[in-house]
Amino acid sequence: MSGQMPEHARERLKGLRSSAHSTGVFTSDFSVNEFLLVRKAGFEPIGLCVGTCVYHVGIQYGSWSKNQELDVLSKAMYHARELAMSRMRAEAAAMGADGIVGVKLTIKRLEWDEHLLEFIAIGTGVVHGDGHKGFRAHDGGPFTSDLSGQDFWALLHAGYRPVEMVMGSCVYHVAHRGALAGLGTAGRNVELENFTAAMYEAREIAVERMQFEAAAAKAEGVVGVDIHEGSHGWQTHVIEFFAIGTAVLPLEQEIAPEKIADPIMVLSVND
Amino acid sequence: MGLFDLFKGPTPEQKAAQAEAAHRQADILMSLRANRPPASTLQRLQDSRAGKAPWIATLSPAELMIVRSHGLRPISAVSATSWLHYGWSWTEGHAQGWGLALERLKAEAKAAGANAVLDVKMRTVPLDIESSMDFTLVGTAVYVDGLPPSHDPIVATVPALEFVKLLEADVVPTGIAVGAHYEWMSDWRGVASRAWMGNIESNALSHLWETVRHRAHAQLRAHAKTQGNGVLAHLNFSQMFEREGGENQPKQYLARHIVIATTVDARRGQPFKHDVQITLDVHAGRSPLNTSSRHHQSYQTNEREGAI
Repeated sequence: MSGQMPEHARERLKGLRSSAHSTGVFTSDFSVNEFLLVRKAGFEPIGLCVGTCVYHVGIQYGSWSKNQELDVLSKAMYHARELAMSRMRAEAAAMGADGIVGVKLTIKRLEWDEHLLEFIAIGTGVVHGDGHKGFRAHDGGPFTSDLSGQDFWALLHAGYRPVEMVMGSCVYHVAHRGALAGLGTAGRNVELENFTAAMYEAREIAVERMQFEAAAAKAEGVVGVDIHEGSHGWQTHVIEFFAIGTAVLPLEQEIAPEKIADPIMVLSVND
Repeated sequence: MGLFDLFKGPTPEQKAAQAEAAHRQADILMSLRANRPPASTLQRLQDSRAGKAPWIATLSPAELMIVRSHGLRPISAVSATSWLHYGWSWTEGHAQGWGLALERLKAEAKAAGANAVLDVKMRTVPLDIESSMDFTLVGTAVYVDGLPPSHDPIVATVPALEFVKLLEADVVPTGIAVGAHYEWMSDWRGVASRAWMGNIESNALSHLWETVRHRAHAQLRAHAKTQGNGVLAHLNFSQMFEREGGENQPKQYLARHIVIATTVDARRGQPFKHDVQITLDVHAGRSPLNTSSRHHQSYQTNEREGAI
């Protein structure tokens, strides 16, 4: 990955920029360090891509004493995110981007209606400096990734390229215990197996779905996975398990593990 | 694209899904009791191990880079949960809960054919349910090229970069050790509060604290001994409460202390082979060189008040 970009690539990029932006200006939400590292990795930002979706989430109540997935809510979270993401991706494709780096996906509740959620996906579209198309996703469209510019550089140097931001979600209702269930456990610490089982099932569903998406994108693995829980103002026993990460593939020219440079240990003497 | 299409299925499919969910839950319950990973999890782990399904890593790309260059390969994210109800003791429940989760995590790692689990984070779901709490561990199972799967995979609560750093220094992070102790003190003679006196130590409360902390740390040492020969990276959590005694009853004080640490197996007198370069970081404010991510969100610790 050479830092110097050939002159003709620059010319070409100018063309790309002006076709997408009449002013020839690129936009991005990169920090200075991100900007430098993305360019160090051989890419140029061309424009900020945004996808939004305001979604009305339907109502579903779990039965009081049952562990179960609330599929109406799961579907809603999935569909709305999918819409926001695909709109962002369409915008990037229209710009001629090879990929989107640093995608931030946020969910906001609109204050005047508790059933309205706003999903926003935003990231910076980039093109390869040499016009190399090998970085595109399996379907020929731009890759998506929630990795920062720094992480993007590190991933390429680990011998991988990002393919698609993949996620899995499961909104789950954790059963209530019966009123008498507590009596037998007074004076003892006991495991609430039902609750434990609920966590296992919900998490498993979320992770499986994420893995399914990665397999569909023909990826070799998923990096930077975050498995977390959230509640978007649902009832007390309802929780969303969410798994998200970036599906990756080895680079065309694989980097042998021995070729990866050892980092240098430094001690900052600032304080 | 994606799974959304799967949801649009007609009712018979939904029925099948419900039956499958019921079956899955029964299997999860049985598996938990038998201390083995549930069948669906097991299948996923084995597929990832065999390369039939994508591997899953909680590692950042920089960590992936270092892990690769040191011959480790990620297999899958693994996780374990134990949800305990405190009928007896909140404090001791923590030792119990993390202990149980740790056993389950190991079982899952073993099923994945792993040698180690890195980057293990402690989590607790913010569902406040009936004096209970869940103890969840999430990490990435890895195998080391050229080594057979381990019968007793090590569990490292440190991030991958630090794991490799430790390995290079011939230190092996092995697991988590927990010490938890609490005590009630009934203040029959009213000596704990000395409001009418000047500068004076409240001996009774000092003594209570000392006892509780010592016992918790003794327990930590005992627990650590089964896994390695040292501990690093303490997480200390302590609380003290006063309870009014009511008529003719003394005031009561509860002190509790929980300490959790990463256990390591280190050979003595083994110097660290890397040179350390001294740099002057021109970053304004807090230097990114000095920060590291938090590895738990289960305790609002009093770290800033100065842990032991």
